[in-house]
Amino acid sequence: MQDAITSLINASDVQGRYLDNAGVEKLRAYFQSGELRSRAATTISANSSSIVTQAVAKSLMYTDITAPGGNMYTCRRYAACIRDLDYFLRYATYAMLAGDPSILDERILNGLRETYNSLGVPIGGTIRAIQAMKEVTADLVGAEAGKEMGVYFDYICSGLS
Amino acid sequence: MSIVTRSIAIADREARYLNPGELNAINEYFTQGSDRLRIATILMANERYIVERGSQRFWQRCPVTPSNSGNPIYRASCQRDQSWYVRLVSYAVIVGDITPIEKIGVKGGKEMYNSLGVPLRNVVECMSCLKEVALDLLSLDDAAEVAPYFDYIIQGLTPQ
Repeated sequence: MQDAITSLINASDVQGRYLDNAGVEKLRAYFQSGELRSRAATTISANSSSIVTQAVAKSLMYTDITAPGGNMYTCRRYAACIRDLDYFLRYATYAMLAGDPSILDERILNGLRETYNSLGVPIGGTIRAIQAMKEVTADLVGAEAGKEMGVYFDYICSGLS
Repeated sequence: MSIVTRSIAIADREARYLNPGELNAINEYFTQGSDRLRIATILMANERYIVERGSQRFWQRCPVTPSNSGNPIYRASCQRDQSWYVRLVSYAVIVGDITPIEKIGVKGGKEMYNSLGVPLRNVVECMSCLKEVALDLLSLDDAAEVAPYFDYIIQGLTPQ
């Protein structure tokens, strides 16, 4: 796992170089956005379950997927779905705080598409739910932090599709 | 490993969000960020000077050492290693943690210098010289931030 700081340092060390000006500027921007990031993380962690609830209501609840025969039909499957959305939200929050998506690859995306395909979980529905989470989160934390969270929600989506 | 990555790793092991205490500590780290970058930039900009002056001081104190034997290859590798350690200190200042130094420059360091036939006592003396020259360039507060990282190298390479 890396963050904005360690990823730049690891990349420089491999070449035996100091951080270049671009790297220093990038870190300066990261440090400056630090308060925004930690404030957003606080808000999201206090509202995580309601974010998931609202996102499901917005995207999946009233579609065929929750009807008999759908992949969210039966409470057990419904519960598995919101558990996964909860994971996505938590890891996207970690990645936003770190300013680096590597944790998403490591803990979420490796093998996820294959797992979902073998379980018959529809990728399209999952992506709709993640996009809904992105909107709900942005409403909650404000446009600037919402945009930053959006980067990592989109990263999960593109890793799935 | 920065405090950001470390706190995330701990929270992830317990499948929870970061708690307010952890977020406060991270926030504090973010606020000191521009200072850390400023100090690291001073080290980067003066790397040549630190290594040159550090070497002179080192050879005065330890005249009998491979890098001072007249062999240009030994001399060049000694100065290259010195500049590597200054670079590692600049990384550590930015991250605010010893991990870059530990991972890249200290683990196995003693074994490496022993097998190269470089006397460890002299390596340690050389690091002390780098530290002195580097700290002279900095204000008192900045020096207090940088000194522990040099001390960590010195401690890690001191023979038992």
